[in-house]
Order: sequence, then structure tokens, then C-alpha cells
Amino acid sequence: MKTRLALTLALAALSLGLSGLARADDSLFTSKEGIEHADGASIYTHICQGCHMPGGLGAIGAGHYPKLAGDPKLSSWQYAAFTVLNGRNGMPPFGLPPDQVWETRTVHLSDEQVADVVNYIRTHFGNNDGEAITAAQVKALPHPSAPPAQD
Amino acid sequence: MTRRELFKMIGMAAGGAAMYQAMSTLGYAAESPFKGPIDLSGAPKGASVLILGSGVAGMTAAYELRNAGYKVQILEYNNRPGGRNWSIRGGDSYTELGGYTQHCEFDKGLYINPGPWRIPYHHRGLLHYCKILGVPIEAFFQINYNAYLHSSKAFGGKPQRYREIKADYQGHVAELLSKATRQHSLDDAISKEDAEKLLESLRSWGALDKDFKYGKNLTSSERRGYEKDPGGGLTAVPIPSQPMGLSDVLDSGLWQGIPSGDNYDMQTALFQPVGGMGRIGEAFGRELGSVIRYNSKVTKIEQSERGVTATYVDTATGATHSASADWCLCTIPLPVLAQIPMNVGQKMAAAISAVPYASAIKVGLQFKRRFWEEDDHIYGGISYTDLPITNIGYPNCDYHSPGKGVLLGAYIWGLNAMEFTAMTPPERVMKAVEYGSQIHPQYKQEFDNGVAVAWHRSPFTMGCYGMWSSDARAKHYEDLCRIDGRIALAGEHASYLGGWQEGGVTSALDAIGRIHQRAVAQGSKA
Ligand SMILES: Cc1cc2nc3c(=O)[nH]c(=O)nc-3n(C[C@H](O)[C@H](O)[C@H](O)COP(=O)(O)OP(=O)(O)OC[C@H]3O[C@@H](n4cnc5c(N)ncnc54)[C@H](O)[C@@H]3O)c2cc1C
Ligand code: HEC
Repeated sequence: MKTRLALTLALAALSLGLSGLARADDSLFTSKEGIEHADGASIYTHICQGCHMPGGLGAIGAGHYPKLAGDPKLSSWQYAAFTVLNGRNGMPPFGLPPDQVWETRTVHLSDEQVADVVNYIRTHFGNNDGEAITAAQVKALPHPSAPPAQD
Repeated sequence: MTRRELFKMIGMAAGGAAMYQAMSTLGYAAESPFKGPIDLSGAPKGASVLILGSGVAGMTAAYELRNAGYKVQILEYNNRPGGRNWSIRGGDSYTELGGYTQHCEFDKGLYINPGPWRIPYHHRGLLHYCKILGVPIEAFFQINYNAYLHSSKAFGGKPQRYREIKADYQGHVAELLSKATRQHSLDDAISKEDAEKLLESLRSWGALDKDFKYGKNLTSSERRGYEKDPGGGLTAVPIPSQPMGLSDVLDSGLWQGIPSGDNYDMQTALFQPVGGMGRIGEAFGRELGSVIRYNSKVTKIEQSERGVTATYVDTATGATHSASADWCLCTIPLPVLAQIPMNVGQKMAAAISAVPYASAIKVGLQFKRRFWEEDDHIYGGISYTDLPITNIGYPNCDYHSPGKGVLLGAYIWGLNAMEFTAMTPPERVMKAVEYGSQIHPQYKQEFDNGVAVAWHRSPFTMGCYGMWSSDARAKHYEDLCRIDGRIALAGEHASYLGGWQEGGVTSALDAIGRIHQRAVAQGSKA
């Protein structure tokens, strides 16, 4: 009985913990409201633009954020969507399942939103790359997933 | 209340401890392995180490290697030492990626720490260097009982004092648990004698009265504060305050803020360097002098059987140079390093690509007076809110000083941080003032000027720090830390103290210890 009590305590605390106790970074509440309804344009201007800059201009410092304006690599929608889903180097993954983003403090975008933002960057900043893609096409690409954290 | 509900409540109370355990497995609360000064005796004559980056990791390594007799040079992209160890003071300028330049207009002596701001007492490596470099430290308050917990959705948006939420939560939980104990609901979990001890402990823990009730009286007011404080003379008599109801506390969600000083990393005592965190980097920089070559952007790292050569661009002149040594300790943050050609094996290369860096924002706001002290009686510490600004940090120094003061007006993570990053710096400052004035209405009247640092826009890190998932940690961590030929990596990212300077210090000491072993094994000049 004692162990059951202890286990119940740990579980209750854990499930609550995910809603955000202080970590090294001290964030108690991180609001996720609104993000599920964001479309391609607002995803770009609220999230991607932080790194890729307004107008997709990119930036150079000790390293660089690639320019998306006139980016020939965007002619491959698979490349663009795969990059958004899985991230690479300094680019965070946006395709982690919603219950797995907390560990790396990244953001989950649905397949539809990934399609939407890829369509957005492929038709803005001087780009004019092919047909619009759909959520179904994004769904067929490899997605990242980490096994749940051990406890 | 059902037994399940009861357990759930205890679970909340036990949250700090249980969460700590869960977090330890993720490496967020690991103890520093620092065990005193490193012994690098017997360095081969003429052996050399090239260090990339002058953050705390690179400078710790340079300091120790130089003292042990190695020839060392550091190449640093910025025009200052410290890396993320940094304070912005009045008169400083900062240009972020995208070209937005901010000129800090704080008054003399005022500063904001855009990156690290607190040092737990058990970060013995970093504290050791503070001591030997003569960097004075002072107390940093993680918990201030008179600071606020604020939810825009509870108590009509009115901020609550930490001490009231803590006392009322604890008091009600103690009352419930004592009721369950007295009704024998826990008989199969604890013995009769333990039940009696539990009851006594609950009374003291929860500030309960003789009937095990938590209510409006002097006992509970000793914890949560009074309606009218005790004083002297004829107006001396204290008036107890009215606790909130349990469901008000639970519904508000503000209980989430209670354990914010319970984690090992956040437990009293914490410290900050007097005059700003950047004092550590500055002191290291003074100590190392011409060992550090500033304005040097490394663009290529190449090793052979005999040594390592880094190609770099002098950002002041645009000229390309190279520097060589027997060994290389690279502390360049991973998002930048991932873009630098470097001939290491597939394993280290995969590890370098595997760690996304967090988004984080800090906003420093200067106000015309220290209203948080004068009006709200908050001296140091942190208020927490569910608004996107997340934290308001009060200066843990210069109390009662007349004149202006600087608050940490926002410290943001996750989605909200990304959104703030996407704004211009003046927009971030404006938003921080707008949100913060919901907690301190004085903001509107007293705001003077501000600076905002978005870490994904930091030209020298491209992120705040490495966010290891447990999966990536299992797959890649050792490959990141293992020496590849003549190249070793160090830095916050090569540690289990992610997001702490101590991770930079201890990873550097660990790596140079291993380089030293190899150098000694190979004898004098390789
Ligand atoms: C918002 C925030 C809050 C934090 N809070 C705390 C805290 O409270 N307490 C704490 O202890 N820690 C905290 N940290 C973590 C702490 O800042 C880091 O762990 C530590 O400073 C990292 O040191 P480092 O030497 O590994 O890396 P850095 O300090 O990043 O050093 C790397 C150096 O490499 C240089 N460099 C980059 N690219 C190149 C190139 N191409 N060529 C040459 N040089 C290059 C950079 O300019 C930099 O100087 C915080 C960090 C942030 C961002
Ligand atoms: C934290 C900064 C950051 C954010 C936020 C970010 N990116 Fe990136 N992105 C990068 C970096 C860094 C790279 C380069 C990765 C590499 O080294 O290959 C990149 C690469 C890309 C590429 C490939 C470009 C090329 O030419 O190879 C695309 C497409 C892209 N990002 C789209 C997006 C979209 C869409 C978003 C918003 C959903 C976004 N990014 C958000 C940092 C970011």
C-alpha cells in the first residue's frame, strides 16, 4: 500500500509537472493559445521571421539564417516541408507531436499548417514555386518523433 | 473528497520533489562534478592548444592550460570576452541578426543581464573562478514572499502575493490531510503512531489551529500576513487577514508558482556578481589579455595527423587568416558550429546537428523610480505571470537607492519567445511595458527606456542554449564529447548542466583533462 501511495503521488505530480514547473529556464506558464488556428502568413510573421527575417531576407553573423527570398531550394516542396517538419542544425523541428514539444521547448504545427506555411514561403519573397501542396502530401513525409522521456 | 482526489492533492504538494526526480533524468538538476582546481602537471614542452570562443568554457580552458604551460590562443567572434556571460549597461550598443541596433540608455551603474543572471551555491566551478578572479558576488533572490503570482484569469486579474498563495495552499492541504487522518482514511497506509506524528506535523506545516482548521487567525496570519500588521503603542494590535478558499487557490492555477525555489538549481543560496553577470567574462578577459584575438570569425576548422588549423576572418578588416596548434578545443555554440566546415567523423558531425537551441527573450526596462520597492515593498526576487512576459525580475541590489532603476521586464520561453523574436526590438519593449502594467500599473507613468534581447537573433549563438531531448542525449551526447582526432568540443551544450554556466566550466575542465592526457601520452611536440 505504501508503494501504491508513493506511485500515485509521483504520477499526479508528473502529469502536473508537464504543465510547467520551473526548469533551468524558469517559465511557469507558456501559453499555447491561438497557435492551432494560425495560417501560413501568420505562422511566418510570428515564428519563422524571428530567424529568417521579414521578407525572407535571412541574416549573417557568426553563422547564418538562410535567405528564403529567391531561394532556389524551395522549388522542391519536399525539401522545404521536410526541413520544417524535422529541423536541421539551428532550425528547430516543427513536426514533433504536441505532447513531445515540451522537452525541447519547440512548437508543434499540424500537417495542414506546415503545408500552409510552405505554400506561403514558396509564393512570397519573389518566389513562385509550383502548385500549392496539401496536408495529405505533408503527412506522407517522415516526421520526427522522440520516444517519451523515461521517468 | 474521494481518496483519489486526496492523493492528487498530496501529489501537488509533493510536486517539487517528484518533479525534481523527473527532471534529474533529463539532466536539468544534476550536481556539478567540480571537485577543486584541475591538475595538468607535466605538460609537454611547446605543446599548443587553439581555443575557439571566449565564453566561460573557452576562457576556463585557456586559463588552466596557460597556467599549466601550454601555448594557448583564443579566437573570438565578438569584440568582447564572455559570450553569453554578458551585461548590457548604459552607453552600450548591440546589433542583432537582421541589423537592428539598440543603444542602451540606462543610467550610470544600471544594467540588465540578457543571458545568465543567477548562480546556485553548488555551481562550485564557476564560483571558484569568481573567487580567484576577484569577482565579488551578492545574494540573488529566487523566492521573494512579497513578490507576485499573477494570473490574468484569476482574482479578476489582480496579482496575489506569493506568501498568501503559499500559506493558503499549504494550510488547506494540511487541513484536508489531517481530516482524512483523523477519519482513519489513511489507516492502511500509516501506523497509528505515525498518524499522530503526521497530525502534529500537519498542524505546524499548515499553520492550523488547535482543531486542525486553517482559518482567519493570528497563526495563519503569521504565514500569509495580516490585514493590519502588529505595531507599537496604542495602534499596536494586529488584525488577522482572511485566507482565500481552497478552490479559489486551486482554480487560479497560481499554486504552480509555489515550488519555484524548491528545485536543487533554485534553492537558496543563489548569487549574482556585483555589477552584473558580465563581470565574470570581463575579469577572465583581463586575466587572459592578448591570449584572446577578438573580431575573429572562424569559418573553417581542419585537422591532420599533426595538428589543427582554423581559418578565420577578421570582422574589422575583412582579411582572412589562419591559426594552428597541436590541439583544438572548440566551444562554438552548435547552431553556428553546424555551419562551419570541419573534418570530424560522422558521429560527432551527427551530434552537432542534433540539438535545437531554445528561443528566449529578455527585456530590460528602466523606470524613473523604484516603485516596486517604494509602493509594493518588493526588494529583489521574481514575480510570475501567465501573461506572455512570464517573469518580472526585480534588481537584487542597490535597494532604496534614489533615482532610476531597471527591472527585468520579461523573460520568455517557447512559443511566446518566438513571437517576441519576430518583432522589432522597440516592439518587444513596448509589449513588455504593456503587459507588465497589468501587474504594476505604475509602469505607464514611470517607464523611461528599455532594451530587448532575443536569443535566436544573437549573432554569436543563434539561440539561447541547447535543448537536449532524452532521445538525442542517449544517441549523441557521448559522440559530442569524445575527442575526434585532435578536436574536442566543450561548452554548455557538452554538459548535463544545460543552460548553466557551470556546464561550460565543467565541460571545459573535463575536455582539457582528456586533451592533456593525450598530449602527455604523445610526449613533447607531436
Ligand atoms: C536567457 C539565458 C539565461 C540563462 N540563465 C543562466 C543563469 O541564470 N545561470 C547560469 O549559470 N547560466 C545561465 N544561462 C546559460 C549560460 O549563459 C551558458 O550556459 C554559458 O554562458 C555558456 O558558455 P559557453 O562558453 O559554453 O558558450 P558561449 O558563452 O556562448 O561562448 C561561445 C563563444 O563562441 C564565440 N563564437 C561563436 N561563433 C564563433 C565563430 N564562428 N568564431 C569564433 N568565435 C565564435 C561566441 O561569440 C562566444 O563568445 C542562460 C543563458 C541564456 C541565453
Ligand atoms: C530558430 C531559428 C529558425 C526558425 C524559427 C525557423 N528557421 Fe528555418 N532555418 C533555420 C536555419 C538555421 C536553417 C539552416 C539549416 C541548415 O543548416 O541546413 C533553416 C533552413 C530553413 C529552410 C531551408 C532553406 C534552404 O535554403 O536550405 C527552410 C525552407 C526553412 N528554414 C523554413 C522555415 C519556416 C517555414 C519556418 C517557420 C515555420 C522556419 N524556417 C523557422 C532557422 C530557423
